[in-house]
Amino acid sequence: MKRIIIADDSTTARMFIKRCLQIIGLGDAEIIEAEHGKEALAAAKAQKVDLLLTDLNMPVMDGETLVKWVKANPKFSDLTVIVITSAGNPAKEAQLLALGAHRVLNKPVSPPVMMEALADFLDE
Amino acid sequence: MIEHKPLYQAMINAVSQTLENMAFMEVMEHFDRSYKIPAEDLIWNSLLINDPVQGEIRLAMSKNLLKKLAGNIFAIADDEITQPQMDDILNELLNTIVGLFLTNLLLDDQEYKMGLPELNEEALPEVDENTIVWKLMTDEEDALQIFAIGASLVILQEK
Repeated sequence: MKRIIIADDSTTARMFIKRCLQIIGLGDAEIIEAEHGKEALAAAKAQKVDLLLTDLNMPVMDGETLVKWVKANPKFSDLTVIVITSAGNPAKEAQLLALGAHRVLNKPVSPPVMMEALADFLDE
Repeated sequence: MIEHKPLYQAMINAVSQTLENMAFMEVMEHFDRSYKIPAEDLIWNSLLINDPVQGEIRLAMSKNLLKKLAGNIFAIADDEITQPQMDDILNELLNTIVGLFLTNLLLDDQEYKMGLPELNEEALPEVDENTIVWKLMTDEEDALQIFAIGASLVILQEK
């Protein structure tokens, strides 16, 4: 069973992303919800995680810092990181990809977009 | 002045895409341009845009519409939805709408910065010359309104 962290300070956003995951066939994955980057990082360190879906604008620790921390740690070299944000633009996207994020998606994400972004992950 | 695409349509597209994707609701311009959501039924929030223009975006809708949106997004009955869930939905909707609005409005190489959404308890301020209003409604004729406030936003209408 795959283990997925959804980091977003909005309950609505987390719920919406969970529904997208269910629709694209990840309904049986274990979902860990985090309200900010620090909580997500702690969850990732506590157990093996396969996928991290994170927002950018969050209190305590934002998504960009979370990506930096995760990608700086060799323990998470296999972790797929997708950023889902309403504050995305090409410059920010390039910056996040350079940090090691696999994809940057704009809110509101839809199941087809999520499926396309996670195609490799779903094939594993 | 910054390079940009048509402002009015950028917002219509942002609201339509957000409500269609998140709540499976269609949005169109309200048939009655003079319509105002009754104050006792109105809920609204706001968010600041910090860069490359400075301004504020407000989202206002009826409590009834917010309940319908909440029901669709959380897939639960209206009477099971809590106030914190409703508040969170309104904030997430505005956050998403403003992000899409700026993406639609600005040319590709421009970065933008926006603040965090805040719920407002007081009466919705009166519209003045530094405000653009979008009067919209869903396919079930529930009204929602968007306000863009600030001279540097209003001037973008002229292109």
